[in-house]
Amino acid sequence: MDREILISKWLDNDLNDEELEAFKALEDYDDLVKLNQGLQAFKIDDYNVSEELDTVLNTIKSSKKQSAHWFKPFMRVAAILAICFSLYYYTTTLDTSITTEFAQKTTIELPDASSVSLNAKSLLTFNKKDWKHNREVELNGEAFFKVAKGSSFKVKTKTGLVTVYGTQFNVKQWDNYFEVICYEGLVGVTYNSRETKLNPGDSFLIIDGKIIAKEKENRSEPSWLNNESTFKSAPYKTVIAEFERQYGVQVTLMNIDSEQLFTGSFAHDNIDVAIKAITLPLRVTYSKTNHTIILKRE
Amino acid sequence: MAKQLHENICEERMFSSIFNKHSKDLHNFLYYKFGELLNPKDKVQEAFVKLWENCAKISPDKAKSFVFTTANNLMLNEAAHQKVVLKHQQTKPKMYTNESPEFIMQESEYNDKLQKALANLTEAQRVAFMMNRVEGKRFKEIAALLEISTKAVEKRIYGALEKLRKDIKEL
Repeated sequence: MDREILISKWLDNDLNDEELEAFKALEDYDDLVKLNQGLQAFKIDDYNVSEELDTVLNTIKSSKKQSAHWFKPFMRVAAILAICFSLYYYTTTLDTSITTEFAQKTTIELPDASSVSLNAKSLLTFNKKDWKHNREVELNGEAFFKVAKGSSFKVKTKTGLVTVYGTQFNVKQWDNYFEVICYEGLVGVTYNSRETKLNPGDSFLIIDGKIIAKEKENRSEPSWLNNESTFKSAPYKTVIAEFERQYGVQVTLMNIDSEQLFTGSFAHDNIDVAIKAITLPLRVTYSKTNHTIILKRE
Repeated sequence: MAKQLHENICEERMFSSIFNKHSKDLHNFLYYKFGELLNPKDKVQEAFVKLWENCAKISPDKAKSFVFTTANNLMLNEAAHQKVVLKHQQTKPKMYTNESPEFIMQESEYNDKLQKALANLTEAQRVAFMMNRVEGKRFKEIAALLEISTKAVEKRIYGALEKLRKDIKEL
């Protein structure tokens, strides 16, 4: 029997009796046995499985408790903070909108010392964020601005852009009607990408897309701030539209030319006086029910 | 399906049984491979704690491989930092009662040589050889434990034996 195979089998504890005899007869048998005995000295029997298991389980449990103690509440706090922060961020960057209803007027303080008076049925939108460097409002309706000194101030409307160099001006923008009147300082109006500069008393008027020249304005502020609407050579339909906004009523015209020009004014606090003011000069009669007024030419 | 539910390492009973089954083999494996200095017991514990932390991700039949690989890596991480001197501690009590001083001297000399010769073996040889000789494990068992073929185990052990005897004679 081959020596190598014998030793291999001995190593694998796989010798039968016959092979064992042959193995013992090998010249290096004594050597191998001695080596084997020497190796036994390296046996380690200080590994106690159940003791080690206890240690591991204790480690696991204590680490689990710890994590339950500080990690979860920490996550909760973090989540709440995150929600608060995002809410705060969302609300501060949100646009601020102010609307007025029929027959309502309001004055708004903008983030700097500027103020805006809003006429009836108008909408003003602006963004508080970065107001110092980017003063811009959007307007739909009519408003009077008193602008504090600072960087350029812009009013965006559907029809045109108004850039402010000075301080006080009125912007009026309704369907097919766009009017800017400058009361103090200097105002630029950009319409169809052309800018027109307005000095105090100048006005800029567009009706149905046509620029209409107007004589100098000599008031110091728009009349509507004193609860009165004033018109100079204005188409009658714009007068009626303004009347509807101020009193929240429906006006129907019968046999009346809505394009004819009207000069005059009406007050915002007495509907009977006001209706006379806009009907008598044109010799028009009126009949009034709850929320509708019918104007008729005889 | 019920069987699947049972076989979850996250259950303490399952975990304990895996620990009982493999921890000693793992400990001895690390001990033979890296020696006593690097604290094989600690590495066994760390590996099993890691097994627990990942218990949901590991199926029970993969658990053995996981702890062996993890413990081995832990050892290697540390072994990279310090050059290890292999020194297997001799714990066996004396086997002979009436021995002459000369015999004792010879014996201790032989053991010194043996220890040095063991340190000279490759890691793979030493692990397989010690499992076979010291623990009396058969080739097949070692093959299963190390995930290699029986033939490879036999080669390693036989090679180790030859090398040891040669080294001892030379020393």
